[in-house]
Amino acid sequence: MTNHKVATREEWLAARRELLERENEHAERSEELARQRQELPWVPVEKDYSFATDEGTKTLAELFDGRSQLLAYNIMFGPSYSGACPGCSSLADHLDGALVHLNHRDVTLLCFSRAPLEKLQAYKRRMGWTFPWVSTYASDFAFDFELALSEKQIAGVEEIQTMIKEPPDWLEEWADAVGTELESGLAENPAWIAFALEDGVVYHTYTRAAPDRDFVVPYFMQLLDRTPKGRVDEFRATRHDEYEGAAR
Amino acid sequence: MTAPNVATRDEWVAARKELLEREKELTRRSDELARKRRELPWVRIEKEYVFETEQGTKTLAELFDGRTQLLVYHFMFGPKYSAGCPTCSSIADTFDGVVAHLNHHDVTMLAISRAPLERLLAYKRRMGWRFPWASSYGGDFNFDFGVSFTSEQQRTGGEYNFRSFPTMQPIIEADAGPVAEQAVATGTDPAEYMMEAPGMSAFALMGEDVYHTYSAYARGLDVLMGYYQWLDRAPAGRNEGAGLWIRRHDEYE
Repeated sequence: MTNHKVATREEWLAARRELLERENEHAERSEELARQRQELPWVPVEKDYSFATDEGTKTLAELFDGRSQLLAYNIMFGPSYSGACPGCSSLADHLDGALVHLNHRDVTLLCFSRAPLEKLQAYKRRMGWTFPWVSTYASDFAFDFELALSEKQIAGVEEIQTMIKEPPDWLEEWADAVGTELESGLAENPAWIAFALEDGVVYHTYTRAAPDRDFVVPYFMQLLDRTPKGRVDEFRATRHDEYEGAAR
Repeated sequence: MTAPNVATRDEWVAARKELLEREKELTRRSDELARKRRELPWVRIEKEYVFETEQGTKTLAELFDGRTQLLVYHFMFGPKYSAGCPTCSSIADTFDGVVAHLNHHDVTMLAISRAPLERLLAYKRRMGWRFPWASSYGGDFNFDFGVSFTSEQQRTGGEYNFRSFPTMQPIIEADAGPVAEQAVATGTDPAEYMMEAPGMSAFALMGEDVYHTYSAYARGLDVLMGYYQWLDRAPAGRNEGAGLWIRRHDEYE
């Protein structure tokens, strides 16, 4: 951060106004993309799925909880994990604040994971979260919607095989943090997925999986894009109660 | 929602892949913009600002709390408001959960408003927030960073979001509309309500010197409304035809 260019307020304003034009163009492109997302076709979900929830077993339609839209984040928490992925956890840290606002926009917000419900419930208590967290354990759901890879699928993805055989340091640390081997750890896909419910039929409308620096990242990364140092790629989030001196 | 365009899974995948290319292109542009933001020159702060905080009176440099970067949300809560702006409150709901992560990335994030500290703290307790909130009551800070306006500026013009505005009178005098509604929600009148505007600013601390590095206003704050990005991916989108829908989290039916 040293030796940054220092200017007068007038010089800064001139540079800032120029940047504002680009930011405005970007906002317009974003809005255009949002429109194009609304235009994606919908695919009726033909199969019956059941999920374990705090209120007992539910179908996909029942997960909508009386609303017509369902938006879910798939937290990497496989059946063999001892705890959820720290990066996913940091993303989940800001869901609670938005939950009530989305619920009043006809959107039910929840998270999916493949670990059994009791594991999710214990971790949720530890993190102090309130959003609904649903287990896709023992269901085809995660595999059908590419939220998880089967052993056979994993064996066929060369990039994942390379990561398992020659894991970078951060990935080994990550495997320690979630308490499992990479072979099963990398079977879970961090992703957002959206569904609509209309006249009793559930439709799949949208999926966005990692890697993505805009949406499948905790939103504080975008706040870091506005700080003097910016987003530092080596930065990896820790669970909020695992930072040194963490009190919450 | 309009009648869905129903397709097979294969048709959806084809359309989705095409859209994904555009999403990736937008992400590349986001990265480019982030680089350009960091290339902005810095402006050394010459003026002495003081703030009331839960730990007593602090200077701008002291607000960094031992870190080298400071992100400020300019929360609309003027001296005569009885409660904070509802939209700013929804923004605060969103960033409250991420402050711990920013703090461990050398960034102190807080809100600054013009109301006296006791009023801010009472409202913070009501909302159940944890982020630090400082009061700039009686100082120039809000005016210098373009988020508070004098009565004279309201009448004869000023600048917001790097553009000049002629007068606020027509907006203030309108009987209905978002400003009238928000004025009621904050327990004030449109003129008092419009003395405050939302914004965010970033500062850097080098040695003893504080530098202003970035500010954004108006649509530049969409990023702080985490729920907008999610609504943009929900089947019906932002769905905002019927006007203001955001309320304080404890005021929804």
